[in-house]
Amino acid sequence: MKILLHNAILFDGVSLFGKETDVAIDGGLIEAIGEADLRGGFDVIHDLSGKILCPGFIDLHCHLRDPGQEWREDLFSGSAAGAAGGFTTLVCMPNTDPPLDSPALVSYVLEKSERSPGSRILPAGCVSRGRKGKVLAEMGKMAKAGAVIFTDDGSPVSDTGLLRLALQYSSWLGVRLMEHPEEKSLTAYAQVNEGICSTLSGLKGWPSSAEASDISRGVSLCRDTGVPIHFTHVSAEDSLRVLREAKASKLPVTFDVTPHHLCLSEENVIEGGYDSVFKVNPPLRSRRDRDALWEAVAEGIVDAIATDHAPWHLDEKDLPFQEASFGIASLECAVAAVLTEWEDRGRPCSLERLLGLFTSGPASILPGEWGGAGAGRIEVGLTADLTVLDPELERIVNVEEWKSKARLTPWNGRRLRGWPVMTMVGGRTVHPVEDIDRGLS
Amino acid sequence: MEWRHRHVLDLDSWDRSELQHILEQTRSMDELLDRPIKKVPALRGKLVVNLFFEPSTRTRVSFELAEKFLSVDVVNWTASGSSTGKGETLRDTAWTLEAMGADAVVVRHGAVGAADYLAKKLRRSVVFNGGDGAHAHPTQALLDLYTAWKSLGDLHGRKLAMIGDVLHSRVARSDIIAFSRMGVKVELSGPPTLMPRAPEALGATFRKDPHDAVRDADIIYLLRIQRERQEEGMFPSLDEYHQFFGADSRLMGSARPDALVMHPGPINRRVEISSEVADGPQSMILGQVRSGVALRMALLFVCLGGVRQ
Repeated sequence: MKILLHNAILFDGVSLFGKETDVAIDGGLIEAIGEADLRGGFDVIHDLSGKILCPGFIDLHCHLRDPGQEWREDLFSGSAAGAAGGFTTLVCMPNTDPPLDSPALVSYVLEKSERSPGSRILPAGCVSRGRKGKVLAEMGKMAKAGAVIFTDDGSPVSDTGLLRLALQYSSWLGVRLMEHPEEKSLTAYAQVNEGICSTLSGLKGWPSSAEASDISRGVSLCRDTGVPIHFTHVSAEDSLRVLREAKASKLPVTFDVTPHHLCLSEENVIEGGYDSVFKVNPPLRSRRDRDALWEAVAEGIVDAIATDHAPWHLDEKDLPFQEASFGIASLECAVAAVLTEWEDRGRPCSLERLLGLFTSGPASILPGEWGGAGAGRIEVGLTADLTVLDPELERIVNVEEWKSKARLTPWNGRRLRGWPVMTMVGGRTVHPVEDIDRGLS
Repeated sequence: MEWRHRHVLDLDSWDRSELQHILEQTRSMDELLDRPIKKVPALRGKLVVNLFFEPSTRTRVSFELAEKFLSVDVVNWTASGSSTGKGETLRDTAWTLEAMGADAVVVRHGAVGAADYLAKKLRRSVVFNGGDGAHAHPTQALLDLYTAWKSLGDLHGRKLAMIGDVLHSRVARSDIIAFSRMGVKVELSGPPTLMPRAPEALGATFRKDPHDAVRDADIIYLLRIQRERQEEGMFPSLDEYHQFFGADSRLMGSARPDALVMHPGPINRRVEISSEVADGPQSMILGQVRSGVALRMALLFVCLGGVRQ
């Protein structure tokens, strides 16, 4: 099938091109970029005037709850939600039941991903067997089966000896280790950011130092072993100080930030009357921390924006704050939420830089065919994983219409501007929307 | 005055004139308590459910007395001995109570935000927060405010010293907000491990030395020390606590001789307060208990239609 994406503003993963461009797709690959002859025998022509054609968005961090917790989400609903949210690739976290710590479970995810309706799903495998933090999981076998990240996410690898071993052992696999930075002895029973929110609410405080101290430890091990390490959902200014310094000394340290930490703060918890939709690990931080995250984005030290989409069943989330589960569901509005916040802040960085955090940035963290020089880019010969953004489109979030099984999100009812309107995975349109398809063929 | 608070969840959005209004309403109820027959038919036919998920004697009994004196029909619903013990969600409990026709629910719950949550789920009933986790205990704060106002008159420009476990205290949070909104300067003291991270967000300042906090204070408010906190290692021993932060003759020596001593009860003698102070002439502790009944009568009366009609 030959497809023409006509008159798009092209973002190739690094740069935006002012002039409208055509991209031709054939057999699931990008065949040509430039001006096309509309009579060139295309099966479908999409007119993308005024829209931005981007490499497919990659989410390095989401919870799809499959296997074992399918009442919250499953690979199919997660894949459909991802496509609706503009993501062509999702990396699902291994805190499933059983934990994703074996090559058989890696294969299970990849096989189900083949049959899934939307985004392709790549599994992250556990660092430790059973995600128990005691001994190494079979990282070699999992890497061979297709695991793209190793993490015990949901928990840190608290044992420093094990974390060091994991870095050393995984170094020959080329699969990066992702640490959920949390010093557990500082977060027992903690619920909200330690500061204004804990003071006013009486909820146990979760200090920034719980994150920053674990990142310091990880950076130290990175320096020691020389093995790359990635820190996920970085939320605090104190952590950024450590990461900035690590990057300045050229250590192979990368990190991502979440849409909710960029868009929300502890003040939302207070103003929301302790509504559990705002309960998340790490907690929504101070206004100052949130500003610092945007400063880091503008500075160019952030590598990716990752959703940490954490869907729960209503019965596990619609509870008094202190009893509700930690996690924010956002897959289907994350991009729009970030673009809206970026606009509201008077565009603190270039659009290229922001879009890079959904494309070439996260791609650079991934191994093999998913990572490297070509990934997260639009180039002739690459797989046609593409996302089309309409930067002007305004829409009100309605969680009831979500493909995800989650039915609570902090953005429900909010008007957001800048939405992904088309998602293409391997040349297949998995998220077609409204009037974009003019059927010129 | 037009009463704008449907529920009593916390005092965050109450302004000074609203607090003053409740103080005056409470005074009328207080006078009622002196009569030989205390019961009045003000809220006859109203149904109030006292929904207690945590053990409480004083608050529950105080609410129940207030309800009975106003001729309310009272149902006591405790977590043990009802379906909540078998894992019913708060939402289902709320809807069940409303289906039974409750006009108001007094809720005490261990989780922060439980009263807010209940208020969001109930379409008709009024919610009175009888304490949610370490967050808020608005009726305690109002009765404390009333007790101080009854003794001191106008509270503007006065000083309150609060000593103890502010971090885990819902009483502290609500009292600091209530007193500072009335123009009272609030200073906190206690072991730093029991202080909140940002006391200024509540409108209070922290003094390392409790003697500095009580100096020139008009009210000395002592918070209950939960023994679990010591067991959790928040401070080394109860004895050490008493020596440095307990209200005894030494600490009271730094305070004015006419300063009021208040405590939400139940008191731990020889921990946060010595018997000589608890039973001494400055102690307002039993006055607070009486104020509690009057204040809760006033709130029930105002929120359940006494003023609106």
